[in-house]
Amino acid sequence: MSAVEPADSAGHAADRSGFMQKYGHFLLLAPGVIWMILFLVVPLLMMLYVSFWTQSTFSISPDLTVKSWVTFFSSETYFGALLRTLRIWLTVLVLTFVIGYPAALFIGQHVRNKTVQTILLVACVIPFWTSFLIRVLAWRPMLGKEGAINIVLQKFGLISQPIEVLLFTELSVIIGMVQIYVVFMVGPIAFMLARIDDSLIEAARDLGASSWRIFRKVIFPLSLPGVVVGAIFVSVMVLGEFATASALSGRKVNLLGNIIVTQVGSLKWAFAAVIGVVLTFVMAVVIIGLLRVVNLRREL
Amino acid sequence: MMEVRALAKAFSGVKAIDEFSLQVHADEYLTLLGPSGSGKSTLLRLLAGLEKPDSGSIWLNGVDITTQPTHMRNLGFVQQKYALFPHLNVIDNVAFGLRHRELDPVTDPARVEKRVADILELVGLTDLGGRMVGQLSGGQKQRVSLARTLVTEPKVCLLDEPLGALDANLRERMTVELQKIRRALGVTFMHVTGNEAEAIAMGDRMIVLDRGRLLQVDPPDTIFTVPATIDVARYINAYNILSGTLSDGRFTSSNGAFPVVGDVPELGYYAVRYDAAHVLAPGEMVPDGSASMSARFIASEFMGSQIIYIFRRIDGGTFEVVRHLSREDPASYERDQQCTICWHAADALLFDVKGRLVMDNSMRGAA
Repeated sequence: MSAVEPADSAGHAADRSGFMQKYGHFLLLAPGVIWMILFLVVPLLMMLYVSFWTQSTFSISPDLTVKSWVTFFSSETYFGALLRTLRIWLTVLVLTFVIGYPAALFIGQHVRNKTVQTILLVACVIPFWTSFLIRVLAWRPMLGKEGAINIVLQKFGLISQPIEVLLFTELSVIIGMVQIYVVFMVGPIAFMLARIDDSLIEAARDLGASSWRIFRKVIFPLSLPGVVVGAIFVSVMVLGEFATASALSGRKVNLLGNIIVTQVGSLKWAFAAVIGVVLTFVMAVVIIGLLRVVNLRREL
Repeated sequence: MMEVRALAKAFSGVKAIDEFSLQVHADEYLTLLGPSGSGKSTLLRLLAGLEKPDSGSIWLNGVDITTQPTHMRNLGFVQQKYALFPHLNVIDNVAFGLRHRELDPVTDPARVEKRVADILELVGLTDLGGRMVGQLSGGQKQRVSLARTLVTEPKVCLLDEPLGALDANLRERMTVELQKIRRALGVTFMHVTGNEAEAIAMGDRMIVLDRGRLLQVDPPDTIFTVPATIDVARYINAYNILSGTLSDGRFTSSNGAFPVVGDVPELGYYAVRYDAAHVLAPGEMVPDGSASMSARFIASEFMGSQIIYIFRRIDGGTFEVVRHLSREDPASYERDQQCTICWHAADALLFDVKGRLVMDNSMRGAA
């Protein structure tokens, strides 16, 4: 009997440590999972649910209907806003890439000094030291009919009449957004480019490849994960944008984000929820699409 | 075939390569030995065109290629850290040069495939063509890197410490492989290393480089038995080197005076090969024509076929004696035991004050 006892208690202890070993990692996971469920999954489901509620002028009731959905897809204004949002998103995405990639190439590849690299990257972030609204509104005296650009062009005699399309048009919204978001493209790309070992480029050169070939076959493919991460940053932010659009378009350019703001302002919860669901869906599709370009888990 | 004339390169005023001249022959294995910081990597980078020389010129088959950009030179450069493209698999890495080179790229996919398959077979990687670079071991990466360069049929293949990152076992296998591959292709290899055994074992000819200057170019056995300068003797790690002066026809140093064979005007250094000396047994007399010195025993190292005895000299330096065990049984000494070491005076190499060899006694045999 006495010989069995210690073995028994030892077995018990082994059971306990076995339990911790088996399920311990769930304990580590729990806070994050609970947080995400409470503040992401549940609200998303709520939004989906509310989008089917019945909306009357002053009240909302939980009787399920597809009326708000039908309104969204049959109205030229609202469906047009979806198309406009997509168009502006694509334009801004392409422009941030076209402007951002060469800048990142300069910082990540041509500047070989790590300190200078860091200084240049920090310089990209300097505009963020002023508030978002000021940055956006600062474009008005720049682009306006009597703004800086028109004055300078007129002084040099390049134009006789001020260019009016500069402000309160889709163009001004795009200019403002590109300026604000281009840094989110530059950062990740510059990071990936700076990680490329010089010896790879030397090896490619030694194997007989010209600079352009080396860029196309070695440098660009290796920077692709940075492009995808940058594109995800820019996409998520631009698709949910409303402030730049309302400040620089004089409320003429309505994006999905602007419509949500107005609908919530007039207490149209069900309709706001419909647009919220649509926007979330669009973002999900865009992100999944971008992640398909590159296997980030392997590359980073 | 390739000729280097008075090449010089300085980095912020410090000379990395100093008036370096060399004739490289077709179809030879050239090893370049130099301590770290001797400029051996710089030399390869200058030849490959990855650095620009301050002066001097490089000629390939009678054409001056000094100012030609790297990708037009057709010299292969196998980097120390392999520098494989991480986004490509083995086949695409090896095919890179054929497909993407500026001069005469191979556009026919079937020909690329054939040549890649041939070279992968030669380096013994036929089965790994589809692997990504991250899934390879160090030795396999080394072979891919070599294959990637050799498939482009370079006129000269420059290898920067190709075995440096491999473990001892693999190093030995690759030594044989490298020579086999080179012979199969008939390409000239220029192999840079900091390891004297590697340089001696692998080279048809061997270059010894020190502080950017060429000290000696000769077949390895010549370098080993007749080092041209005291620095060469030092780098091949086979000589006990004593410094002193000539007085009364004897080499005199703080370790004693040794008879000098032949007529020399002055002396600065005196070198005794590790395996030319032996330790006198108790009561044994110093034979005629031999030099001897007394030293304190520190330790011995048993190497299987040979044994190394390490002694402390009177001036504080060490003195190594290597005995081949096929000829005698290992002896054992007490730590700090005073022993008498002796060698044939004719076996010692003599160097003047500037470190140049003044007498050649090697033909008398050291063993």
